[in-house]
Amino acid sequence: MIRLHRRIAPLPTSARWFAIVALLLSVLVTACGGTDATVAPTAAPAATKAPTTAAPAAATTTAPTAAATTAPAVATTAPAATTAPAAASAPAGTTAPAAAATTAPAASAGSGPTKLTGAAVPLVIYAAHGAAQPMADAFTMTTGIPTKIVAESTGPLLAKVQAETNNPQWGMIWIDGAEAMASLDGQGQLLKGYTPDVPYNDLGKSLVPKTQSFVPTGATVTGALVYDTAAVKNPPATWEDLLKPEYKGMTGMNNPAISGPTYPFVAGQMQNLGGVDQGKDYFKKLKTNGLHVYTTNKVTLAALGTGEIKMAIVQSSAATAAAQKTPTLKVIYLPKVSLLPSNIGIDAKAPAQVQTEAKMFAEFVLSQKGQEIMKAADLSGDSLYYPIITGVTPLPVLPALATIPTQTVDPYVWGARVNEINQWFTENIA
Amino acid sequence: MAAPALAPDDAAAVHAHTPHGNDRAATTREWSRTIVRLPSRLAGGALWLLLGVLLLVPTLCFLVLAVSPRLFEQGTEWFTLRNFGVALQGQTLQGLLNTLVVGVATAVCALVIGLGLAWLTQRTDFGLQGVWTILIWALLLMPSYFSTLGWQSLLVRNGVFSQIGIDPTELRDQFFGPIGIVWILTTKGIPFAYLAIAAGLGGLGREFEDAARVHGATPRESLRIAMTILSPALWSALAIVFAEAISDFGVASTLGYGARFPLATFTLYRAINSIPIRFPVASVIGWFLVSAMIVALLVQNRALKGRSFAVLSGRTRPAMPTPLTGRGRAAAWAAMLVFFGLALGVPLFGAVSASFLLGIGGTITRSGLTLDNYRAALTSRDLLAPMLLSAKVAAITATVAVVLGVTIGRIIAQRRAGAVGRALDLALLGAVALPGVVLAAGYIFAYNLPIFRVIGFSLYGTVFLLGMAYVASSLPATTRLLLGPLAQMQRSLTEAARVHGASEAEAVRSTLLPLMARSILWAWLLAFTHITLELPISEILNPPGEPPLAVGIIRHLDHTDYTTGAAMLAVAVGALLVVIGVVLGVYRLVVPAGWQRVRAR
Repeated sequence: MIRLHRRIAPLPTSARWFAIVALLLSVLVTACGGTDATVAPTAAPAATKAPTTAAPAAATTTAPTAAATTAPAVATTAPAATTAPAAASAPAGTTAPAAAATTAPAASAGSGPTKLTGAAVPLVIYAAHGAAQPMADAFTMTTGIPTKIVAESTGPLLAKVQAETNNPQWGMIWIDGAEAMASLDGQGQLLKGYTPDVPYNDLGKSLVPKTQSFVPTGATVTGALVYDTAAVKNPPATWEDLLKPEYKGMTGMNNPAISGPTYPFVAGQMQNLGGVDQGKDYFKKLKTNGLHVYTTNKVTLAALGTGEIKMAIVQSSAATAAAQKTPTLKVIYLPKVSLLPSNIGIDAKAPAQVQTEAKMFAEFVLSQKGQEIMKAADLSGDSLYYPIITGVTPLPVLPALATIPTQTVDPYVWGARVNEINQWFTENIA
Repeated sequence: MAAPALAPDDAAAVHAHTPHGNDRAATTREWSRTIVRLPSRLAGGALWLLLGVLLLVPTLCFLVLAVSPRLFEQGTEWFTLRNFGVALQGQTLQGLLNTLVVGVATAVCALVIGLGLAWLTQRTDFGLQGVWTILIWALLLMPSYFSTLGWQSLLVRNGVFSQIGIDPTELRDQFFGPIGIVWILTTKGIPFAYLAIAAGLGGLGREFEDAARVHGATPRESLRIAMTILSPALWSALAIVFAEAISDFGVASTLGYGARFPLATFTLYRAINSIPIRFPVASVIGWFLVSAMIVALLVQNRALKGRSFAVLSGRTRPAMPTPLTGRGRAAAWAAMLVFFGLALGVPLFGAVSASFLLGIGGTITRSGLTLDNYRAALTSRDLLAPMLLSAKVAAITATVAVVLGVTIGRIIAQRRAGAVGRALDLALLGAVALPGVVLAAGYIFAYNLPIFRVIGFSLYGTVFLLGMAYVASSLPATTRLLLGPLAQMQRSLTEAARVHGASEAEAVRSTLLPLMARSILWAWLLAFTHITLELPISEILNPPGEPPLAVGIIRHLDHTDYTTGAAMLAVAVGALLVVIGVVLGVYRLVVPAGWQRVRAR
């Protein structure tokens, strides 16, 4: 009998532990199912970070009303007016004495530089911008605020942000393209109602979004066509020309699901052609004509370099750099190409201290010193941009922006369709 | 008369008919036994909890997601099969089909070559067994992205071949596609096939073939008999190579992607790493990969079912090696040189030469030797700090994996018949084949669930979580590796130590440790090497601002910056070899001479 017991004893033990694991699993699952999207992000951290979440919340409510009445052109005159209520309501709403000091200056954008009080915390920066690392180094040296850079292409960064919706790890994100930012804003992921108190030029002013949910840091153009003059004697004059048999198999571009500057190009083409369906039709024809799709600017240009393709549709900065390096390459701009701002977005759910630091970072980028770094940090790419701060000039190698046939794509209209169009592109064209 | 073994139901019936008094006594006995066994049960429970946290929960959460997205706020349905429909089209479907084809082709190629290698080294007097063993271990340890880098550096436009005046266009067109992918995966699979078959060949004496020949069989027929007897080893070689091939990420993300030949591991990675993010689709691909593994194991099982292949007995003698004739020896040498040349030599030459050349893959036709790539590599943020991080994390996680491996191995070895042992064995056997991308995607998904935020326990995005995943990924193989030597340990040794008054720890130290030291050292080195250069988990669980080594390197290869990438890889592999050398040297110097005499087999 005892022997029998021993023989079967391990079975119940293991069964019991299986049961415990199963129980843990079910607790986990119930907890996950129970926390609906509306509860998780705000209610849980509220207890620990009340002042933190209150500030953006206040801004959220005030910003749209102001935005509704303010035309984009005059957006820069609005900040003082729009953020004033936020500034007033933030301390009033939060009033936890310890944190009031940090949220108050944060909300007072438009009336001077943001200042940090209290101990600095590491600022996690998700960045697809080529100047991010040197900028962060200089920022840390100037302010003493430690930074952590996650350097990736825009697509993977946005995927990370999306995956972390319930549990964001980032403090700010610095990428190309306003559509992706508008999309994040639509999901409530961005801190609204903040525009740094910097002397934007006219271009800069036109790029500040109505909701003030992201901060433009510079502009390039997406859809520059670089071609190999040795192989292409007769460059195309319009986008339609690319469908001609003489260019079969010659063209390459980036995948918008991975490359930040490419979705605005795709959206721009759709806008050019009169709608999404017409645009899809165009890309299908382009594919039939042998379009090559790579991941990012660098990879598409590498394919151009090795002769795999003869024409590359990339961001103007990367195109200009490639032509600088290789004299046989030439850059042209077919009508129309889209204006592409690079932007900084601040995590709406980040602690107040992090948000303050992110604002300081944005202001540092837009300062004279920051602009110098931006112009020198990545000469093979992102330094070749059009500055949006008064008094800062573009690098001499760039053509005047006025000579380029640009159009503006409404980030909020096209931002809402980014997932759908990218998925379509990946499944059908890439 | 010996009592027949009773089934649990019978036991319950016997219980039901015992008088009450006996029943009470039995209950008391049972209780006292429970109390005595409590510590061991707690330890067992902790172990299961650990396995749950490390392996089971993340993987299951991730797989359940495909059919119940609502459960994890990834959709509106509590139960749906819609995601399977979404995944089974376009590129994703293509990736799944490609993966199956590549998996089968790789398994067959690796089997044929592995069998040839094993036959040559085990059954002929070809000699130099130590050299071949080292080369095969080198193949095992070389990450697949390393081989890819080597071949790419040679073949790309303006690559090494172009620079030395060879036109590689034709070879490139052939190699950058399924053929190249299958070849690189085959070279990665051969060590597994070889080790499985060599073990089988070791147990197969010559008697069976000799008997067949005596009875008039032709050499071909006697070979067929030998193959039939070997079939368990052959089938397990097929299954393990297939599993390794379909779960590979290094080739899929470099050559597969570059050649526009999508493979499942990479489409899974893309699904969670581009816009829009599609966890449910990734989960379906996870289902596919796991099911393909299970099918492979079932096919293997079925092929062997109901037949006995037991040939090992007390009378088994090592086979007399067949002497090679002069021509045979020359052919064998040629075969070995060609094989190792293509599998190890060419990629190594490609990678190393790329690291010393100018402008590979670029437009500017500069050529010549340079140290610039090493300068760029050593000053890059993607090398030194990531290398230190990876080495540190690998040292810690390899140690944890080995300690856990010994613990679990002891349980499995001691309770061979017990359900706990069997369940552990099964869980770990399954986990050996679990692809790194599935495990990592499970981690990123499970450890980011709102529950962890609610309870204020957030591991997501930390180096700690990365370390956990490394432990989970290397634990199964480490345990398998230690299981053999542990199973050979006589329990009586530890018991004797205990009888002589040693504490449990002291008993383990004085009996198990000396005998196992060598196996533990090698298991640690294997885990350490594997983790230092590990790609898929590192890529997916890459903590903010602290990229692991493989991520730093692959970033350059992704951007077709072969030369810097090659220099970085050369520095990393060189450093790794130094570490291995130092560890082995320290072992020789520090460990008592008596321990070193024990050779684990």
